Amino acid sequence: MLSFARGLLGAFAFFVSQAALADVKIGFQAPLTGLAATDGKSAKAAAEIAIDDLNAGGGVLGQKLELITYDDQAKSDQAIFTANKLIGDDDVKFAISGSYSAAGRAAAPIFQNAGVVFISAYGVHPDITKAGDYCFRLVRLGPPQGRAAAFFIAESLKLKKASVISMDNDYGEATLQGFLGDVDKYGIKVVNKYNYSLQDRQFGPIVAGVKRDEPEVIYATGYFFTAGPLVAQLRAGGVKAPIVGSQAFDSGKFIDIAGAAAEGVYIVDGFDRYRKDPKLEHFTAEFQKRAGYPPEGVAAEVYSSFDILVDAMKRAGSLEPAKVRDALAATKDFPMLNETLIGFNKLHEVIMPASVDVVKDGKFVHFSTIEDKKVLAPPEQ
Amino acid sequence: MSAYTISLLSIVGINVMLAVSLNIISGFCGQISLGHGAFYGAGAYSAALVAVTTRNLPLALIAGALVGSMLGLIVGFASLRVRSDFLAVTTIGINFLFTGFVRKQGWLGGEMGISSIPPSGLGGTGNMVMIELFAAGTIAFSLYVNASWMGFAFRAVAEDEDAAATLAVNAVSYKLVAFALGTAFAGLAGALYAYFTQFINVDAFDFITSVMLMAMVVIGGIGSTFGVAIAAVALTLLPETFRFINEYRLLVFGGLLVLFISLAPGGLASLFHGTRARLRR
Amino acid sequence: MFYVDLAVSGVVFGCMYALMAVGLTLVYGLLRILHIAHAAVFALGAYVTVLVANVSGSILLGFVAAIAVTPLCGIAIYRILYQPLLHYRPDVPMIASIGLLVFMQDGFRILFGEQGVTFVKNPLAIESVDVAGITLTFAQLAVLVVTLLIFVALHLFTTRTRIGVAWRATVSNPSMAASFGVDAIRVRYLNFGIGSALAGVAGGLIALLNNFVDPTIGYVVSYKALAIIVLGGLGSVRGTLVASLFLALVESYGTIFIGSYLNRDAIAFLALILVLMARPQGFTGVRTA
Repeated sequence: MLSFARGLLGAFAFFVSQAALADVKIGFQAPLTGLAATDGKSAKAAAEIAIDDLNAGGGVLGQKLELITYDDQAKSDQAIFTANKLIGDDDVKFAISGSYSAAGRAAAPIFQNAGVVFISAYGVHPDITKAGDYCFRLVRLGPPQGRAAAFFIAESLKLKKASVISMDNDYGEATLQGFLGDVDKYGIKVVNKYNYSLQDRQFGPIVAGVKRDEPEVIYATGYFFTAGPLVAQLRAGGVKAPIVGSQAFDSGKFIDIAGAAAEGVYIVDGFDRYRKDPKLEHFTAEFQKRAGYPPEGVAAEVYSSFDILVDAMKRAGSLEPAKVRDALAATKDFPMLNETLIGFNKLHEVIMPASVDVVKDGKFVHFSTIEDKKVLAPPEQ
Repeated sequence: MSAYTISLLSIVGINVMLAVSLNIISGFCGQISLGHGAFYGAGAYSAALVAVTTRNLPLALIAGALVGSMLGLIVGFASLRVRSDFLAVTTIGINFLFTGFVRKQGWLGGEMGISSIPPSGLGGTGNMVMIELFAAGTIAFSLYVNASWMGFAFRAVAEDEDAAATLAVNAVSYKLVAFALGTAFAGLAGALYAYFTQFINVDAFDFITSVMLMAMVVIGGIGSTFGVAIAAVALTLLPETFRFINEYRLLVFGGLLVLFISLAPGGLASLFHGTRARLRR
Repeated sequence: MFYVDLAVSGVVFGCMYALMAVGLTLVYGLLRILHIAHAAVFALGAYVTVLVANVSGSILLGFVAAIAVTPLCGIAIYRILYQPLLHYRPDVPMIASIGLLVFMQDGFRILFGEQGVTFVKNPLAIESVDVAGITLTFAQLAVLVVTLLIFVALHLFTTRTRIGVAWRATVSNPSMAASFGVDAIRVRYLNFGIGSALAGVAGGLIALLNNFVDPTIGYVVSYKALAIIVLGGLGSVRGTLVASLFLALVESYGTIFIGSYLNRDAIAFLALILVLMARPQGFTGVRTA
């Protein structure tokens, strides 16, 4: 009888002590529905794996992590609602945007004003980090990506005559500006520039134009659903010049769509996915299991955002946003899934090398690494 | 009142202004407009530019309404040339011309949009109050128009232009007036939106937005100010209440739209008044 | 050569547009409804083609399945959605149509995934053939041939067969046709059926051309097809064919030459607006006042 009572008391004490430890909530915005749902799905799967992995590793400072996800459809007003909801209703002190630029841009000032540490996993609008010191970005901005491509074409491929194809959105525009800004430095001659909308899947006129240009190399920006058809149609149209693609090309689906045409396509700032790295291998397997397809850059960025945030909490030894922010800003040499982050600059933009991949035998294979600091330098303000 | 509620109510107010103003053009005057997003956007962009350069709130609001109205007048002239379904598609065209043009203009922010729009100085709650006041004003204006001679003329033009002519109702001028008025309010809503988000980008004013606004008008009951206002509130809040089914929101939204229209084709107004006189073909 | 290439690209795309838009103009001609959900039928055709082809190993079987499924879908949409709403202002069935499109598009996303589907084996999009100095992929060739065959067949059907003639009569003058004993309901089913089948074929061909189908594939069709049927003169099949070719060529040349000032859709609609300002009834429409 006494032992039973003791057991009961023990159980009671155990439950009380568990309840006393609140979970650490991390807010998460992603486009689960709407035109950007493709990336939203990847982002959500990656976020959930990250939380599970971090919790399996003991959580942070003795507490478990809780993920609170809201769909923002990649729209500004939805991002504002959900940001306010996360701060007001859910009382989060940390938030990650797994969404596109416009959404991240609209949400950033709200998180900044509330003193919530905010990381944009892959949204590239320049003003996200300009919102304030609580805002960080884990993906490289458009202009340095464009500059890296120019560098790669000039220094590695040693080609001079280029046709440029860019997509009509902020990422395409920013990357193009970065690329064009550096072409004179390397003596690259841009024969012609073409652009297309995100909904386009047929590129007949562009293929005709490129055929007429007879370039030595083609530089193109796009997501897999435009890049795949574009590359397939270029090759089918008889264009043999090497194609250098932007980061957003980097998805297994690109190879599925373009098939044999994808062979030999370079991707600047790609996701070096077959590195021998236990964490990467575990992530790839788990993502494939949960999402049903292999992970791409977006998924890797989102996972690493959670990873680095929790790492900053541990280094700060505290869950106070201001302290975590400072620890995050002081990050040095952190192993992300796709590259090792050297650190953040004053504006909380990433400083890290860029991996160039090439498609070989239907797989992405690491080709080279760009480490030139000046080429990859993010803006300071 | 939490920041979430304030931001939600702000967008509700803006959508009410947009839907009620569209109702003046399409509901009262029968000129189908599926491109209302363009006037909304024109107002937002002009207000944003004025706000960034002068930091003057009243000036920005006036600019928004004025530019929206000017664009509306131009489209109004187009409506003199083409009728009903042709006009509907022409207005879609205006929407795409607007977005397609703006996203390629550097001085309008291009693909990046216009950031760092200065705050109105009224704070979040103050902004919301201002928006709700303007929304109430739009509703009041709409009710007034409906009850006035202008409203009568609009209805005459909507039902039968030639017959209206026999009553000395000049279809031309009334169509233009309808467009100019409706789009002025849309432009004003755009200006308020710019101050709300402090960042605008062309995707917020696309075809999908215009279609949603038309849905509000039809669900509210074409021609009924209150019906349309209530529909605007409902259609804005509905997706928010469905956040617990995050992944199926669009599915549920589309399904409800179909169901509602099939069961109550006259819209909310018909449910309340039980009359279908407005909806003769 | 460049200009010829642009023209060829335009013609191929014009054929796609024609297949998509004719179904829409048929519905409008008969019922005066802007059947925006037509885009969902198109998307369904695309998905069915790819999925059946992947499972069965035969792309042809995929097309057959699409042609079988899409008319049923189209007729169901008419029966369940439009028939009860025929006596209301046209905005009403249009909004119902839009709601259905949103519903079905999200349904495709949930059922078949956000990442979309691709053919397991589709050599047609990659391998090409040279015809008089012009390079065409087999898929593009298929589009040209299939479109030609379909419209020749359609022409023969509506001029040489009884049902076809009755159908044409009903579309031009429903009350007169009724007085001749033509069953209006059967004609409507035929109308939706054939229009939807055309959309299904268009969907399959687009899947072939792009080697990829994603849930948003119907989005552009929803408004582009509207532009085309208006340009052609609402209700006129011949007008729609001309408008499809015209718009595709305008886009083909336009995106190359003024693509840095206006994007593709803006160019298309600019052309539409200019034509309508000059000819408010479209290419072959009849002027009403």
